[in-house]
Amino acid sequence: MKLQSKLVIIYRVLLGIIFLLLSITLFYLQIAKGEHYKEIAKRNYVRIRRIEAARGVIYDEKLNPIAENNPSINLYFRPHLIKNKDDMADFVTSYLPISRESIMKSIYDYRFLRFNEVLLYENITYEQMAVISEKLNYFPELFFKVETLRSYTINNHFTGYVGRINSDEYAIYKEDGYKINSLIGKAGIEKYYERILSGKAGYEVIQVDAHGRSLNIFKENLSKEPENGLHLVLNINLDLQKYINEIFPQSIAGAVVVMNPRTGGVLAYSSFPEYDQNIFASPISTEDWVNLRDNPKKPMLDRVINGSYPPGSTFKTVTGSFGLEKGYINSETLLASCIGGLKIGNRFFKCWTSVGHGRTNFVTALKISCDVFFYDLSKYFKIDEFAAFVEKNHLVEKTGIDLPYEKKGFFPTTEWYTKRLGKYYGSHGIKANLSIGQGEVLVTPVQLCAYFSALANDGVWKKPHLLKKAIGDKTLLYEELENNEGVRLPVSIDHIKLLQDGLWQAVNGAGSTGGAARVPGVNVYGKTGSAENAHGTSTHAWFACYAKWEEPELAVVVFLENAGHGGSMAAPIAGKIISYYNKHIRDK
Amino acid sequence: MKISFDRNFDWHLFSLWAILVIFGIFAIITASAAKIGDDIVLKNYYWKQIIWFFISVIVFYLVLKIPLSVIDMLILPLYIFTVILLVIVLFMPAVNNAHSWLFLGGMRFQPSELAKMVMILLVSKLISKDHISELKMLYKALIGVIIPVTLILLEPDFGTTIIFWGSLVFMLMQAGFPLCYLVLLISPIIGVVFSFNWILFVIASLILIYYYYRERLSWVLIAFSSILNTFVFFLTPVLWNSLKSYQQNRIITFFNPIHDPLGAGYQVIQAKIAIGSGQVFGKGFLQGSQKNMNFLPEHHTDFIFSVIGEEFGFIGAFLLLLIFYLFFNRIIYLIKVVSKKEYKIAIAGIFSYLLLQTFINIGMNLGVLPTTGVPLPFISYGGSNLLINSFAVAMVLKYSVYKEL
Repeated sequence: MKLQSKLVIIYRVLLGIIFLLLSITLFYLQIAKGEHYKEIAKRNYVRIRRIEAARGVIYDEKLNPIAENNPSINLYFRPHLIKNKDDMADFVTSYLPISRESIMKSIYDYRFLRFNEVLLYENITYEQMAVISEKLNYFPELFFKVETLRSYTINNHFTGYVGRINSDEYAIYKEDGYKINSLIGKAGIEKYYERILSGKAGYEVIQVDAHGRSLNIFKENLSKEPENGLHLVLNINLDLQKYINEIFPQSIAGAVVVMNPRTGGVLAYSSFPEYDQNIFASPISTEDWVNLRDNPKKPMLDRVINGSYPPGSTFKTVTGSFGLEKGYINSETLLASCIGGLKIGNRFFKCWTSVGHGRTNFVTALKISCDVFFYDLSKYFKIDEFAAFVEKNHLVEKTGIDLPYEKKGFFPTTEWYTKRLGKYYGSHGIKANLSIGQGEVLVTPVQLCAYFSALANDGVWKKPHLLKKAIGDKTLLYEELENNEGVRLPVSIDHIKLLQDGLWQAVNGAGSTGGAARVPGVNVYGKTGSAENAHGTSTHAWFACYAKWEEPELAVVVFLENAGHGGSMAAPIAGKIISYYNKHIRDK
Repeated sequence: MKISFDRNFDWHLFSLWAILVIFGIFAIITASAAKIGDDIVLKNYYWKQIIWFFISVIVFYLVLKIPLSVIDMLILPLYIFTVILLVIVLFMPAVNNAHSWLFLGGMRFQPSELAKMVMILLVSKLISKDHISELKMLYKALIGVIIPVTLILLEPDFGTTIIFWGSLVFMLMQAGFPLCYLVLLISPIIGVVFSFNWILFVIASLILIYYYYRERLSWVLIAFSSILNTFVFFLTPVLWNSLKSYQQNRIITFFNPIHDPLGAGYQVIQAKIAIGSGQVFGKGFLQGSQKNMNFLPEHHTDFIFSVIGEEFGFIGAFLLLLIFYLFFNRIIYLIKVVSKKEYKIAIAGIFSYLLLQTFINIGMNLGVLPTTGVPLPFISYGGSNLLINSFAVAMVLKYSVYKEL
């Protein structure tokens, strides 16, 4: 049989080739290179040592640190070396405030990952370490590691904090070399710029002796230097930030945002009450957590980007500019006479004061914050057109500030009313309410600040942002990371000038509501707001403004939750901020 | 025809099998021992393996006693049973990221091991009929293999499926499927393999065309195959570039573990150091320092050859290679002398399946082949593995009783 004998030959040749190849390789490894490998094996063994990358520091614009790395002594264990887990748990719990259950849980969680290093306790004091170290040779599974602890020089809401990676984050980040113990940004700048801050861990292949002591690098070309994270330089001015923390009334919740209108850079960013995010650096105690969570003032809420509130009279610039753009009014138009309010349908809509302002034009109406002018103006409006206009002023969509979890504003549309009420009646009353920033309309302080910045900037809206640049092995400007080209508001330059005039009058004119924000030697343009809301008896106090020297340099939004009138509560704070900037920061 | 069992029983192969398993038990004893100071700590792996050895002998006895007709009848139900097991195993918890182990009480077992043998027995039956056209032979063989392979890819266990395809090629060859058609079917692989270098691709293509010409293949087929290969050649980089970098990394690491020295590459470095440091005579039984220090990973299963290399040296490791060589050579002899076509095909399948596992495992230990979780037949610790491989040898012995003398 010809085929059969041919096949047998093929099998024999194949078998021969395979075993020849294996034998030659075996010969090469054991006899030709045997001495070489024996040298490595006899004294030395190879291990891979990870070299952590340093996390970037976060600085303010003057390079004062806001978030930095401090050394921290951490206690770890190796599951495969545990002799008696009960003894170990007894030992650890007797020196450290950690529960037996959490130790047992760690052991259980890592039962299939026995060769890993598992973190037990972070940020141990030197005294504790000294006491524990004395008995450490009874527990070969335990060991200390000096790592870094992130600490924040000022309580704030924008840096966020870092924490140990959780399983969802690990699933995403493990491709980038994160370990199960890695620290990762959980909120704020730390989260938003995680990939820039974290850098990339390196490793080296080293020889260790039988006791695990490292000797030297095994093969240079198998090592990889860590790439340290870049440092972030923010637009924040720490002096201004601290000053705001000092002057903001202690007992009131609220927010302050200060922006440079021409760049969009955020100079100060406060949400009150602030809380100490350093407590997240090590495992947070239940007591601390409950205090934070159940505090009625909600310190964890970042009111600058996550709180949305009715804007009150600060919104009148939007209402007015819509009327101007649509041609319902011009700078001369006088609307209905204010007799302390206006009757719409069967209902009397009150002005903020019962005195009565008479008939006013737009600029005067802004100056004295007459509600009736805007009530009357709103009768011309179509709600969906108005909603579209508000949206184009960037008061609905997120601003795109470089922080995670930003919240949207809100402005109702016909569709929304139809869903909510079954039918939209298009009543003048609803529109009148919206025209003075009451009712369903909601904005976040950062949206309002960006809007007033755009008014200061002659109608060019800039995306607010905290980052100025990243420095380190390379320099990255914010502009290289994100588009920072301005967007024009849907308002003509003539009308912008008119709005600016009204805002100047609203601070500096006779009988204006924002007089408390006047600063000698500086032109302040601003608008007060006192927004009624369902959450409290007194109104939210707003003041939104910008300050101009030769150029506008500062836009400030001050917001105080349920604190009263914008003119008396918020405007003085804005005045102090501008004054402080004028004296201590400008020209320095 | 009266068959004399005693006279035709192939004692050669049986003895070689027994030597291999006993060699393996010694390797497992040393691999499961850790020397700490002067104390030697033994884990209980080795006596489990000894028990499995005796169970295997019982299986041998049963296989040789049960009439072939009964075994033939059992093949199809066994195939369906295996497929069900392969589905169930997908819902089992993953070990090392693959759902390949079935847990039953305190025992565990890989259904893909059983699937290999059952596939070989079934396919050899399907394609051994006389006067069967090549196309029919091919599609029958594919039917037998495609279901288990798909299920095993889902686990995912790529390494095991290579063995399925390898065995299939050998069985088709043995069944008289023309070699040149087999080459034709496999040839698109060169488009993938040489996609990085067009000169090598052109040379390989020309060699193939010359071979087809010598085999008097029709020019239409040659042209079609060449165009297909070229298409694959151009498509591969396109597909490759459409992958995300982490996906590319996984594939690179799969084929080239050194690329990722923190992962599988680490094992290969350690295995090479262990084998290399064994030199000519080895460090002696229980004395392997790499193994004792726990630097060697999986040293009683996938990397047991490294332990043998470290402790028994070149002499021991080469001796093992030699026993394997004699073992496979005896199987080739049996393929030659067995009388029925079906048996020849089945033995060829078993031969290739054992040979491929041996080659892949030792090649991986020596650092010349990528790391895949393929154990070394008869030597690596693992009850189900030993049982199935022994069953395969028992089948060869059963068939070899029908010698053509």
